Amino acid sequence: MVIAEVKPLAEIMELIKPYKKVLNTGCGGCVAVCLGGGQKEVDTLNTRIELTCRERNIPLEIGGFTVERQCDMQFNAEFDRMVGGYDALMSMACGAGIQFLAERFPAKPVLPAVNTVFVGVNKEIGWYEERCQSCGDCVLGVTGGICPVTMCAKSLFNGPCGGPQDGHCEVDKDTPCAWIQIHDRLKAQGRLENILKVFPAREWQNQVQGKLLLEEYRGRYVKEEKQSPVKK
Amino acid sequence: MYELARGPLMWAATIIFFAGILYRCVQLYLLTGKKEHALFYAAPVKPRERTPEERKIDMIVAVRNSLLGTHPIMAIVSTIFHAFIFVIPLFLLGHNLLLYESWGISLFSLPEWLIDALTAVFVLIGLFFLLRRMIVPQVRIISTYYDYLVLAITVAPFLTGFFAYHQWFDYRSVITIHMLVGELMLIAIPFTKIGHMIFFFFVRILIGSEYSFWRGSRAWPGKG
Amino acid sequence: MFSGHNKPLDTEKIKATLEQNRGKIKLSQAACASCSLCAESCFLYRGNNHDPRYMPSYKWLSSLGKIYKKRGNVDRAFLEQTRENIWKNCVLCMRCYCPFGIDIPGLIGLARSIYRSQGVYGIYPYTVGAPEAENAHDPDGK
Repeated sequence: MVIAEVKPLAEIMELIKPYKKVLNTGCGGCVAVCLGGGQKEVDTLNTRIELTCRERNIPLEIGGFTVERQCDMQFNAEFDRMVGGYDALMSMACGAGIQFLAERFPAKPVLPAVNTVFVGVNKEIGWYEERCQSCGDCVLGVTGGICPVTMCAKSLFNGPCGGPQDGHCEVDKDTPCAWIQIHDRLKAQGRLENILKVFPAREWQNQVQGKLLLEEYRGRYVKEEKQSPVKK
Repeated sequence: MYELARGPLMWAATIIFFAGILYRCVQLYLLTGKKEHALFYAAPVKPRERTPEERKIDMIVAVRNSLLGTHPIMAIVSTIFHAFIFVIPLFLLGHNLLLYESWGISLFSLPEWLIDALTAVFVLIGLFFLLRRMIVPQVRIISTYYDYLVLAITVAPFLTGFFAYHQWFDYRSVITIHMLVGELMLIAIPFTKIGHMIFFFFVRILIGSEYSFWRGSRAWPGKG
Repeated sequence: MFSGHNKPLDTEKIKATLEQNRGKIKLSQAACASCSLCAESCFLYRGNNHDPRYMPSYKWLSSLGKIYKKRGNVDRAFLEQTRENIWKNCVLCMRCYCPFGIDIPGLIGLARSIYRSQGVYGIYPYTVGAPEAENAHDPDGK
């Protein structure tokens, strides 16, 4: 799940300063689950903004509406009938959703009300942890289900380094050493040989904009170039 | 009939009421699982001092997000209704006299005119709930005869008590009916949806969730 | 098509799932006071003009609740008629409010798993054109 955190109010006030009417758009997807940008967050933020504007005599009108998710254009279509009445759109969706919203309404300034922080898990309500950095080359099968890219501070592939103390990372004593955890997990499963071989160097995929086109859908979007006939 | 309602049935109802509540609490607790995640320890972080402007906004936001903010009428009316369910029977002179006659103890009693007025308000709120259930679409869609029956069981003791106090109709019959429906209500509490009295506190305090009152040490099984 | 229109339901499987979760379902049904205070907490309810079919309690009572009341003895038609209550009308954002703390998302998730066990799934509109989506429609009409 994508985790996002609401920006500080001061920063949001700065962003909406130039506008008179702003529509705050929420998302019922990941951000709703992690309490970052669902309907309740839209309502709460709008209340804070309204009260702040009243205190400071800022003439700003703010509306709010939440859709299933903003990363699917068909759901952003629901905003079509609303945006005309606003100078700007604010979005509490994750960075992906915000960009899709901006793409649908290129004439309207689109402002982010949240910072998208990571891909992670829901440990408990209000407590989310990163687990995946979308490297595009998953090795979880080898490392016993523990991601060395995310969970190791140095993203080592042939760890551990010489740093761990008492099973904890030298970078932060409250963080367990991922490689010690990997070792223990594999040992318990009887699969230690996985990490006894040396991993070759990785080609980091996550430095370029990710794009994925599924094989069975390729035919819909790619026009195959015809090969020129070979003259015998 | 009067003697039956006044004596053994009252005993039965009271015992079933308390035993039933205990049974429900145990049943609920056994249904929950232990929360698997321990609290993690981190260095204490002192949050930034909130300015008076920010604190005022925080308070207004908290109220707006609460039940009072989202459903003001229901919040107020319902609180009054539920408070009266306890206040009226407990501080009623008539009940306290009976208690004193039986066991030599009693609670303090409110002036009779006051209890009378509160009872009238209570019955009117009962009427409000009835109309709400019949008219408001989202309530109507999930309402069955059971919901109307439970409302009737809840309001009946108060309505009949009101009639009895004012000595409308045949007093003996009315007071007997009053006792019987009162006992019925007591028995119904643990075993029908009136048990929401128990569930409300138990679940909202015990199980951790967005709306729990405290962090909640238990969880529904499977949630971890 | 996919859901096997005439295939009878495996009632035993449904009953087994109900039995496994009997305590929770029974308690949730007992605790539900039909107060409808959960409605406003659902953004789909608010966004669809307060249509009561989006109300969280309605969503689980009309699906899982009914199945439980009938002790698992429902037919395929019932599942197909009510599937949109737990799929189209809910995104499982987990934010529904219940004064009594009923785990509504958990119950909707449980309902989905029962429906799935019988081959009845949610159908998503954006698979227009895909073989499985003969019942789907594109809300934008594109």
